[in-house]
Amino acid sequence: MVHEHDVIIVGAGLAGLRVAIELVKDFDVAILTKVHPLRSHSVAAQGGINAAMGENDSWETHAFDTVKGADYLADQDAVEILTREAPITVIENERWGTAFSRKEDGTIAQRPFGGAGFPRTCYTADRTGHNLLHTTFEQAMRLGVKIYEEYFVTSLVRNESHVVGLTAMEISSGEVLGFAAKAVVIATGGFGRVYARSTNALINTGDGCAISLRAGVPLKDMEFIQFHPTTLFGSSILMSEGVRGEGGYLINTEGTRFMNTYAPEKMELAPRDIVARAISTEILEGRGFENEYVHLDLTHLGKERILERLPGIREISMHFAGVDPIDEPIPVQPGQHYSMGGIDCDKHGATSLDGLYAVGEASCMSVHGANRLGGNSLLETLVFGRVVGATVGEYLKSAKSESHDIIDEEVFKTRERLQEILFRESGESPADIRKELTEIMDAKVGVFRRPEEIEEALKVIREQRKRFESVALGGSDKKFNYSLIRTLELENLIDLAEAIALGALMRQESRGAHWRLDFPKRDDERFLKHTLVIMSDHVMRIEYKDVNLGQFEVKERTY
Amino acid sequence: MMFRIARSREGGEINHYDLYKIQTRKGMTVLDALFQIQDKMDASLSFRYSCRGAVCGSCAMLINKEPRLACRTQVSMVIDQSMKLKPFPPIIEVPHGWDKETEILIEPLPNFPILKDLVVDMTKFFDALEELKLWESPTDGDETRIQSPKDRKKIERYVNCILCAICFGSCPVNYEKEEYLGPAALAKAWRFNQDTRNPDAKKYLESAQQPKGTPMCDLIMNCVKACPKGVAPGGAIRKMK
Ligand SMILES: Cc1cc2nc3c(=O)[nH]c(=O)nc-3n(C[C@H](O)[C@H](O)[C@H](O)COP(=O)(O)OP(=O)(O)OC[C@H]3O[C@@H](n4cnc5c(N)ncnc54)[C@H](O)[C@@H]3O)c2cc1C
Ligand code: SF4
Ligand code: FES
Repeated sequence: MVHEHDVIIVGAGLAGLRVAIELVKDFDVAILTKVHPLRSHSVAAQGGINAAMGENDSWETHAFDTVKGADYLADQDAVEILTREAPITVIENERWGTAFSRKEDGTIAQRPFGGAGFPRTCYTADRTGHNLLHTTFEQAMRLGVKIYEEYFVTSLVRNESHVVGLTAMEISSGEVLGFAAKAVVIATGGFGRVYARSTNALINTGDGCAISLRAGVPLKDMEFIQFHPTTLFGSSILMSEGVRGEGGYLINTEGTRFMNTYAPEKMELAPRDIVARAISTEILEGRGFENEYVHLDLTHLGKERILERLPGIREISMHFAGVDPIDEPIPVQPGQHYSMGGIDCDKHGATSLDGLYAVGEASCMSVHGANRLGGNSLLETLVFGRVVGATVGEYLKSAKSESHDIIDEEVFKTRERLQEILFRESGESPADIRKELTEIMDAKVGVFRRPEEIEEALKVIREQRKRFESVALGGSDKKFNYSLIRTLELENLIDLAEAIALGALMRQESRGAHWRLDFPKRDDERFLKHTLVIMSDHVMRIEYKDVNLGQFEVKERTY
Repeated sequence: MMFRIARSREGGEINHYDLYKIQTRKGMTVLDALFQIQDKMDASLSFRYSCRGAVCGSCAMLINKEPRLACRTQVSMVIDQSMKLKPFPPIIEVPHGWDKETEILIEPLPNFPILKDLVVDMTKFFDALEELKLWESPTDGDETRIQSPKDRKKIERYVNCILCAICFGSCPVNYEKEEYLGPAALAKAWRFNQDTRNPDAKKYLESAQQPKGTPMCDLIMNCVKACPKGVAPGGAIRKMK
């Protein structure tokens, strides 16, 4: 049996829910999500959401900051939508119930954020994502959006020109089912878990990007990965910049505040990428603890100040690393934080495949270019959730249903593929493959990039793909088979790792978050272009595509 | 360190317990240990997870007879911790053979039907939110509403709820009375009622006060002790009663 809807949205984070809310009044909409909507990664965002609402602020300055932050690789037409629509988007969510933090006069409080000319980041304490997601989910509930909860999408189904539906595993039963729709929207979030060290949720495996790639849809700018300088050693939970803002020191094994060597003036408060590179250098050159991390030392701040200003950070250190920062320094290291790249689409979310749309962190329109500004990605999910919803609505008015037969065929094939994995009695361990894959990405396609090392990573990635062909779980059950789900996610990670590494190898310049040691300068002549990764017959190739420039002239990015 | 884990292949009830030996390391959480089992010893073990940072609410379970988030619980600290909950059957009845001194006991969150191993059916927990219509009914307008920092602070505690259902699983009333809406939904009703921006705040209070709502609460306060986010639902319920 095939379930049929006008439109199917994959993902129930902020982006997916916002698309559904836009469409639910006029169309038969369904969301598929592998976890309950409130467990989506959007819930974890801390710092805030940007909107030019201050008196002297304007959408143009917000747009300029975004384009400059992006190292000019953002598409300026998409950035215009993002920044122009920002205030009404925040207002909408406030009116839905989000309990933003307030200024004395009762208006929404805004804090300064890296790379921004004005304090324009609206927040709810350090739990902005949590508040926005709970509120947006409440509205989806109010409107009666149909949600298939705990369904893991396994593949897209297309004919020559159109997407016609998808296949998904019902996690509770282990059954593979077919879904037919005139339009499919991918809102599956980022793919931080390509890296062993990531601030992302464990479920951020880029499934939507990988299945789109396999369906012949290009991915864009995959090499642009944002790393955060300070994440907790062991779990890579984000240790916000606030800790350094309050006066925390970064210390190596020799007991020195090494930022003195890299940024003698700003010290620990130098920009994110500089601090991340400094910490990585210390560890690479043997001055890291256990060759893995440095110390973020707060002990000199004293108990009172730590309890008053950094209670959340103390709680995280104690619960997740067993370290009380009042007595001991916190072990930290850089970690993957945000995926700028994603499914290639235009500013309305349309991909090269008719009926297939992308939105949120899974998409690449691109509003973030080579480097995302903090507070712009929550904004992206809600602004473009509405825009893409409206675009899909227009499309649905004239779209026809395509034949379902190929969906049944694909369900059958997927079922067989899963059976094969499940029944294999012995073989490669998915945990071992995952460890090798993600650790090589940390080591060789991380903060610093050298061509020989990227090639090495590519070799290891391809070996892991080979090993994956004989992957075996060991005995497992049909119901709630999370081992199987994590194995299917691993398959997606392998493809995405290759796409990232290929993009990084071919981009012979340094721009935004992509730092090539052999090409330390930006090269606009050759690379003021988006990278496209295209897969056909299981082979990936790279093409380039122009950036949509606009009112902001391309300049050197200095702060 | 040994882990004794409740298993239920077909759901319904706990069928037996399996014993696993965990290689511990500094900073290891119970969730890390469960992944070690799934990865290295037993691929059939099922449990929910997502953020691994105590913000998504996926991983609530009974750890040494106390409801906790697996991702926020350090293996090294489990044995010494105590929430001092008022006892009720699922947290008193000890499986045969459990050695408290050397083994960590892991069981599904009480008061919910078991679906498989540590995965429980949370339908009734989320249905309560829908039943009480716990959302704002937005009115038209193109400006943000005004709220003083002081008024905002009144709802802070309740806004922090991650809907992990630990309170529901720790509540002796939820154990006995299938129909009780539970602490989290009622605390959320209070959140909407106390929100000064809300034009029809009364309706949330009225629906929370229906017979299977606040009147059913015996003010036992297990929810206050067990909540990992300091929401203190029992306090809100007391005010609504
Ligand atoms: C620690 C942290 C802090 C952050 N802080 C900020 C901040 O302060 N400001 C800011 O602007 N941004 C921040 N971000 C980034 C921001 O949170 C994300 O970019 C954004 O929330 C992504 O939302 P989304 O809706 O695109 O995806 P997500 O919220 O990740 O949702 C993805 C959805 O897809 C579903 N899904 C995935 N794969 C499948 C599949 N195979 N089958 C079915 N369903 C599937 C999931 O179940 C989920 O519902 C932060 C990120 C991190 C890691
Ligand atoms: S009130 Fe506390 S225990 Fe209950 S669901 Fe909310 S966060 Fe969890
Ligand atoms: S995994 Fe999210 S709360 Fe534990």
